Amino acid sequence: MFKALLIKEFRLILRDKQALAALFIMPAIFILIMSMALKDTFNSERSLVDYAVVDLDKTAESAALGSFLKVDKGLHEEKISLTDAAGRQTALRGELDFVVEIPAGFTAELGQGVALGPRRLKLYAAADIKKEMLELFQARLLNGVQQLRLENLRKELTPLLSEAVLTLAADKFKGFELPPEALLKLSFNGRFKGQRPTSTQQSVPSWIVFGMFFVIIPLSTIFIGERRQNTLLRLRAMNVSTPALLLGKIVPYILINQLQMWLMIAVGMYVVPLFGAEALTLGRSISGLFLVSFGLSLTAVGTAMLIAVVFDTVEQATTIGGIINILLGAVGGVMVPTFYMPKVMQSLAGMSPMAWGLDGFLDLFLRGLGPQAVLPEFGKLVFLGLFLLCLAGVIFERKVKSL
Amino acid sequence: MIAIKNLSKFYGDIRALDQLELKIGRGVIFGLLGPNGAGKTTLVSIMNGLLDFDAGEIEILGLELKANPGAIRRRSAFIPQALALYDNLSVIENLRFFAGIQKLSGAVLRANLDYAISVNRLEGMLNQRAGTLSGGQKRRLNIAIGLLNNPELLYFDEPTVGIDPESRNQILETIRACKDDAKTVIYTSHYLPEIEKICDEVAIIDHGRIVLQGRLESLLQEEKTDAVIFTLLNSSRPQLEVIAGRYEDLEVVDGATLLLARQSAVRIGHLLEILEREKIAVKEIRYGTTDLEALFLRLTAAGGADV
Repeated sequence: MFKALLIKEFRLILRDKQALAALFIMPAIFILIMSMALKDTFNSERSLVDYAVVDLDKTAESAALGSFLKVDKGLHEEKISLTDAAGRQTALRGELDFVVEIPAGFTAELGQGVALGPRRLKLYAAADIKKEMLELFQARLLNGVQQLRLENLRKELTPLLSEAVLTLAADKFKGFELPPEALLKLSFNGRFKGQRPTSTQQSVPSWIVFGMFFVIIPLSTIFIGERRQNTLLRLRAMNVSTPALLLGKIVPYILINQLQMWLMIAVGMYVVPLFGAEALTLGRSISGLFLVSFGLSLTAVGTAMLIAVVFDTVEQATTIGGIINILLGAVGGVMVPTFYMPKVMQSLAGMSPMAWGLDGFLDLFLRGLGPQAVLPEFGKLVFLGLFLLCLAGVIFERKVKSL
Repeated sequence: MIAIKNLSKFYGDIRALDQLELKIGRGVIFGLLGPNGAGKTTLVSIMNGLLDFDAGEIEILGLELKANPGAIRRRSAFIPQALALYDNLSVIENLRFFAGIQKLSGAVLRANLDYAISVNRLEGMLNQRAGTLSGGQKRRLNIAIGLLNNPELLYFDEPTVGIDPESRNQILETIRACKDDAKTVIYTSHYLPEIEKICDEVAIIDHGRIVLQGRLESLLQEEKTDAVIFTLLNSSRPQLEVIAGRYEDLEVVDGATLLLARQSAVRIGHLLEILEREKIAVKEIRYGTTDLEALFLRLTAAGGADV
């Protein structure tokens, strides 16, 4: 009997093109789009800021100031000539984030140590520049100015110092020429050696969670159709109990959720790199993946069953189901990561089962943790899923009895 | 085969079945008639174990229903009025699915499938999606699903609603074939000529009670009357009740139907005059009704329900 229920459910889903699109194609496309859209945000090799330098000073020192900025891989200098204000404005509206103008006489006055006043550096920023980027660029530029001043100071002091002092100073100042990697070792929390968080690692879990909840649409559509067409009545007249009916829904959709998850992982690993973003790397815990995905499935199927038994028409179920899905996703950090949210919203996010599942997946994909780390999320999801399923069963039984 | 004693069912304060008594023998086609809301669906749902009941005793196929619902269901089949099948599955997939639900396999599965397919003439459409079948073909598939477990007892709920005459005849033939195979059929329908055509016995249910039961032939013989049925336009029940109050042997069936128990040209002419005076148009007059419809209308007239 159970085999017949499974085969029937799979046949109905496979023949529902909209359901297949919602379950498999939509999350796969989201993963591709989001991985590509955010790839530069997580990639330290790619420039985050494009800028141009307008050097009106035209000295060796002013050229050196420009080259200080070039050291940073996140900053990319566009070699374009910007001779007037109009050109500068056009550039800032289009391809550039910053324009640095070094006024004539700037380095000379800097070397003399006089108050700069009218010969200050001018920094023009695009209107949509992020606050963090502005601060980082300013810091980098001012760091360059400080290095220039140190260099000037060194040049002025050198003739005044003895050979012994100069030798000592040369030894002591060696560190200044060291590359940042020699002074600073960067490691991301929990990742394996040499691995960095990428946009793919961030995107894939989000859209797996979101996609898994889309079982609400086919499950409720098929279930309500069965109820309205009296096939459920007929099944009951053929000795099929309510628990067996529910189990006949739960198991296929859990399997579909598993298929979705592995398909999305495959998209992250093999398709996303074809479009230029970095490939997904699996965490160290496959069992952890099963735990989180099983908990998520149970909650998603429980939500879908509840919607399917409460509402009487497919239109109601798909509309309400879609709204619930989007709200849970928005609150749960699928669309906007929770770390961007204010504290109040972050607390609210903690109430969304999508946030629990997402947190579990991020523990595995991003933080490289093991199955024990996801047990709290797994427990919450299983508890909620079972509660929703029991509630759906009770409501269904009451509706059937009041035939 | 079926024995029901003192069966009562309440929906809140509403008494759907009122100490109903019914006996049905083996191997007959039994017509269950009644106006809408009379209790037919409730009775059939209870007999199929889909609804609980509040009082009474039900014995089906020699088994007590409350104690053996599963065993009774395995030996019976309910064919609902609504097409209880999957439009997105083919005919054979539908049949195999419902056979699987009933745990049929091997030789029994093959034999029962062949029987259900041949009796319902589905051979030429096995791989067609159910959703693409005509209304009549869908009804036949609906019946075929009910025959899969080779039931001894079949419940047909309005099996010919909304289909063409040819498909209707095919379905009626299928039901007769079931009887020929020694199956017992309980048949509910609003098409009284159909009931007359295929049923051996009938029971009329009204207000949750059986108001008449017996072999169709003898009931019609006893009921042989000269009744005349007037179907009216622009009339209302209160208006007709005033007329009936002044007129002997005249019964109000509903807001648009009058039944004159004895036929005579003078009485009919007199009644037509009254109706004309009351500005009530006559749509149809049927004479000499010795058929089931007259019997049904007379017995259920007091309740004023529609057929």
